[in-house]
Amino acid sequence: MLSKKSIVDVGSLEPEDIKLILFNADSFLEISRRDVKKVPTLRGKTVVNLFFEPSTRTKTSFEIAAKRLSADIINFSSSSSSLKKGESIIDTLKTILSMNVDLIVMRHSDSGTVKMIDRFVDVPVINAGDGKYQHPTQALLDLYTIKKRFGKFEGLKVAIVGDFLDSRVARSDMDLFEKMGMEVTIVAPTMLLPEDYSEMKVRHNIDEVIKDTDILYMLRMQLERQDRKFYPSVMEYNRFLTLDMKRLEMMKPGSVVMHPGPVNRGIEITDEVMDVGGKLGEKIAIEEQVTYGVAIRMAILYLILG
Amino acid sequence: MVKNEKKNILIKSGTIIDPGKGKEFVSDIYIKDGIVAGIKENIKTGEDDTVKINAEGLIVSPGFVDMHVHLRDPGFEDEETIETGALAAVKGGVTTVACMPNTNPVIDSDALVKYILEKSHDAACRILPVAAMTKDLKGKDITEMGILSEAGAIGFSDDGKCVADSRIMYEIMRYSTQFGLTLILHEEDYFLSEGGLMHEGHYSSMLGLEGISTLGEDVIIARDIMLARKSGARIHVTHLSTRGGVEMIKKAREEGLHITCDVTPHHLFFNDSCLTSFNTNLKVKPPIRSEEDRQALLSGLKEGVIDAIASDHAPHLDTEKNTTFKLASFGTIGLETLFAAAFTKLCFEEKMSIYQLVNLITVSPAKILGIDAGKIEVGKTANITVIDTGAEEEIKRESFISKSKNSAFIGQKLKGKVICTISKGRLAYMNE
Repeated sequence: MLSKKSIVDVGSLEPEDIKLILFNADSFLEISRRDVKKVPTLRGKTVVNLFFEPSTRTKTSFEIAAKRLSADIINFSSSSSSLKKGESIIDTLKTILSMNVDLIVMRHSDSGTVKMIDRFVDVPVINAGDGKYQHPTQALLDLYTIKKRFGKFEGLKVAIVGDFLDSRVARSDMDLFEKMGMEVTIVAPTMLLPEDYSEMKVRHNIDEVIKDTDILYMLRMQLERQDRKFYPSVMEYNRFLTLDMKRLEMMKPGSVVMHPGPVNRGIEITDEVMDVGGKLGEKIAIEEQVTYGVAIRMAILYLILG
Repeated sequence: MVKNEKKNILIKSGTIIDPGKGKEFVSDIYIKDGIVAGIKENIKTGEDDTVKINAEGLIVSPGFVDMHVHLRDPGFEDEETIETGALAAVKGGVTTVACMPNTNPVIDSDALVKYILEKSHDAACRILPVAAMTKDLKGKDITEMGILSEAGAIGFSDDGKCVADSRIMYEIMRYSTQFGLTLILHEEDYFLSEGGLMHEGHYSSMLGLEGISTLGEDVIIARDIMLARKSGARIHVTHLSTRGGVEMIKKAREEGLHITCDVTPHHLFFNDSCLTSFNTNLKVKPPIRSEEDRQALLSGLKEGVIDAIASDHAPHLDTEKNTTFKLASFGTIGLETLFAAAFTKLCFEEKMSIYQLVNLITVSPAKILGIDAGKIEVGKTANITVIDTGAEEEIKRESFISKSKNSAFIGQKLKGKVICTISKGRLAYMNE
């Protein structure tokens, strides 16, 4: 029902695919809210969660999605570092495929690896994040969260704040949000941006966008993905990029704060903001993102295997 | 190698391109006992002892000179050997190979230089060792450049590595002037390139692959031009890849400095947009650059700023390439596609004359290295390549003779094909 067998990046999703995934997510969201959260749709299908990089959220989300659809899901985790030269990732894939699986959900620490694997195998592959390249299901669940909050996409102003350079979420979101007619601004310091960012709309200070933004998308500082660290300090980050109470209060009515998780408290977002309640607390959509993530992944599994 | 007992060869009616003589004409060439015995029309020979090659409508060129090749011998014979590398060379029309010293052990002693020369005695083509500038390519202690050149090293290079210490590079340059030798320089500032996987630009940003900025190459080219100006050394920048590099070298030459450079066919053929496939055979160093850089390289060739085309033939095992882009080794093989890749881009697409291209892969690199090669002369050993410029073929993995198959050109349609190669006076390759 989708235009391609696999979902490896946002760029290969057709507008019709996106529409279909968002539309189907609604009914799967409803299932997740029932007392008995299980439908027999994918009974007899086998899905493998193939994770070459540690993950709890995404892996759990796919696992719950598959189980609610009655598919059998098997977790295969291996640290990327154990797959060094000489140990072929292709051989690992062949072993898994010999067991007649129907779909592979894959995460890897190196950019482009899922795209490469997709060319080698016949079964559908869903990219659950590869290196700094793409994380398409995250982008789709983010889009779904925006749809639920705003009911539209056209003309919304999005600010993506933080470590753009090391973030697959930022790359995927920027592609998808622009595709849907939103205006995306990246807020980041020079060392967390590409060498040449002249083609992108860029600001260096969160205060320049805070009042005018509909969606404030805070990126996780990917300290584990940086080979060398050039950013001076957390103090410097707090000064120009952190979402604190003062900044939260400046945001316009109806605006939301998103984050792909897990949050580095005190870096991207202060403790105070994370735990804020009341009217201001309604702006924080981070938990909704997680809930909608299951629905989006159910929709994708259903559209590929159903 | 083609098994043939016949000693003499007659190439009939080919269009001879000889940049050494500066002319292009139709003639026969007769090779007797490996020596060019005659270049004239309508040569008659005895039937039995002569192999006849009908070269009507074909180009007859001096055998190509590839001044940048990794033969991986000694130390990495699972990737390539002197023997297999030479067979790949003659299939590509190359009859003279300069091999780089980053072997194991490194070619940094006279014993290693002699090993290469002795082992290549029976190889299909002429192999000339380039020796290391610093011991074990560590960039610290200068090699015995005097002894090494006496042993037969034709040039010096730490290729694959850059001498980061400017003082040491300066002393190497000064010392090289004593022997009048050429230094072949791999230009890379490690502080700028570290961790990089592809050209830094729009596509590296899009693909989430760590970038290698052109700055890393340009900063060292600028440094080495300054050091060469002061020392008077003859330097050659190999696998030049940036627009900035072309511009700086152009200016330095206008000033009268002894600086030459070469470019690889893959840097002329591809740009960084090709990396969206994550094809690990396109992971090379220096990286495949932007279209702007590629255009600057093409202009540099047309204007004569770039002196030679060399393959940077870099064999790697499948296990080093069939992995993630990050883990894959840098390098593509290139001996067998040297001519066709360059011809397709330069002559077919860019309308450069074949005469100019042949010059870039024969006389010009021979001159840089100071060797007698790249010409067809009566009385000398025959090194000749016959080419069909009308042929076109899709490059297939199975067609490579090289021990490694990591070619960036697999799947590409290339024009121009080597029909036969006469190397060291013998028929070394014949396209079946």
